[in-house]
Amino acid sequence: MADMDWPSCGKSLKGVILDMCGVLYDSGEGGGVAIPGSIEAVKKLKASDLQLRFCTNETQLNREAFVDKLKRLGFDISVSEVFSPAPAAVAILKERGYRPHLLVYDGLLPEFDSVDTTNPNCVVIGDAAEKFSYQNLNEAFRVLIGLEKPVLFSLGQGRYYKETDGLALDVGAYMKALEYACDLKAEVVGKPSPIFFQSVLNDMRLQPHEALMIGDDLVNDVGGAQHCGMKGVQVRTGKYRPSDERHSTVTADGTVDDLAQAVDMILKQRH
Amino acid sequence: MAGRRALKAVLIDLSGTLHIEDTAVPGAQDALNRLRQASVAVKFVTNTTKESKRNLLERLQRLNFDVQEKEIFTSLSAARSLVEQKHHRPLLLLEDSALEDFMGIDTSEPNAVVIGLSPDHFNYQTLNQAFRMILEGAPLIAIHKARYYKRKDGLALGPGPFVTGLEYAADCKATVVGKPEKSFFTQALSDLGCSPTEAVMIGDDARDDVGGAQNAGMLGILVQTGKYREGDENKINPPPHLTCDSFPEAVAHILKNLL
Repeated sequence: MADMDWPSCGKSLKGVILDMCGVLYDSGEGGGVAIPGSIEAVKKLKASDLQLRFCTNETQLNREAFVDKLKRLGFDISVSEVFSPAPAAVAILKERGYRPHLLVYDGLLPEFDSVDTTNPNCVVIGDAAEKFSYQNLNEAFRVLIGLEKPVLFSLGQGRYYKETDGLALDVGAYMKALEYACDLKAEVVGKPSPIFFQSVLNDMRLQPHEALMIGDDLVNDVGGAQHCGMKGVQVRTGKYRPSDERHSTVTADGTVDDLAQAVDMILKQRH
Repeated sequence: MAGRRALKAVLIDLSGTLHIEDTAVPGAQDALNRLRQASVAVKFVTNTTKESKRNLLERLQRLNFDVQEKEIFTSLSAARSLVEQKHHRPLLLLEDSALEDFMGIDTSEPNAVVIGLSPDHFNYQTLNQAFRMILEGAPLIAIHKARYYKRKDGLALGPGPFVTGLEYAADCKATVVGKPEKSFFTQALSDLGCSPTEAVMIGDDARDDVGGAQNAGMLGILVQTGKYREGDENKINPPPHLTCDSFPEAVAHILKNLL
């Protein structure tokens, strides 16, 4: 079916999911800068009959603060449209009766205000940056090793990311450290976890084949979305590297220069 | 074992085998003396990331063991000889107490990372620094990969988790130098001029001491002191050459059956 291919799948699409960092903006000092054409592209999508959601593995800020940052950059965006790992983790914790020990960035703590953290029976780690001290990791380790059945949730599993002063270890490195110490496997909340993508689809009341993910991370955005039965398109902005186009396990349904080009190609199919 | 030659060397673990903290295993000093009267070389081998050879020697002498510094071979010694052999200038993520075993090593403009148990260095900045070096091609050398250890105030993370995290982030594999690596045992034997088939290892850790030694071609004797827990001998395949009460019994077995 030709309609299943990019970009002709744009005809039958009902919803679009956008990654944020590297697609909408590049991070950096003072909140970063919008990627040229992306503010306009979001406006066009909102004016269309497509549903739109945003999906990020950001775990250093709570959603309110994060959305405020994007508004300041000029994006028309609201908190209810943004999916990030922390609220997804909160839903899982409540559903399964877990009381977490939290090793997350201070800015993220408000997301967990409604969660009981007394007498913890699991550990949640996010990108805690400078809070990843020996002492804090040891505390998390002791909670885990003291449990009959240790449970570790990790908000994403990234290896590293770019900071203004160079590359920095992401939460995945510390997740692996605790996995090794306690001989367990963490449950990853956030991209590329299928449950995470499914929660976005559920919110739009769409089937996977009716939605398209656009991101700069081949494995976590594109691969994760495809694993759920969605289409995945990669932009050549953000952390994109040319070697992504010959990756051994993930092939994007399409690769475009930037979000503006992707949106124009989709909307052209619908006229 | 078929093809095994006469015994030339005995490797002996320290903590848990000769002593438990500051108490000698009963009869261990006399047993060591008896072993020394036989015609075998003796070496003391241990995984440590924070105790220098001098520290270890002082403790053994305090407990009246007849030991010389040159007979001690540790995971730090193994790391040092690797660094020297490859002409690395290491960034040393080690406690101060371990640094004296690296005296004389050039650490300017580092081009390799040596990582032991070093809570003082396990912070976000230093780990990022090590990570950036590794990503740019610096080799990662791990003293050992223990998951955790027992401290007075409870369990605490060992170097292994931090090594594993760096391996994941930089998509690389660390070179581990301590027990149970094969290279550790062959290096410990190298200056004795004997092959692994001519040596036996005595220790309380089924995997790191006995399994590692046997994997290197030696015989392994498991003693039921220190960290030994019932059933440990079943955790390795092939099983230990011998499992016995304690160090004196292991020596008696060697003197009676292996010489």
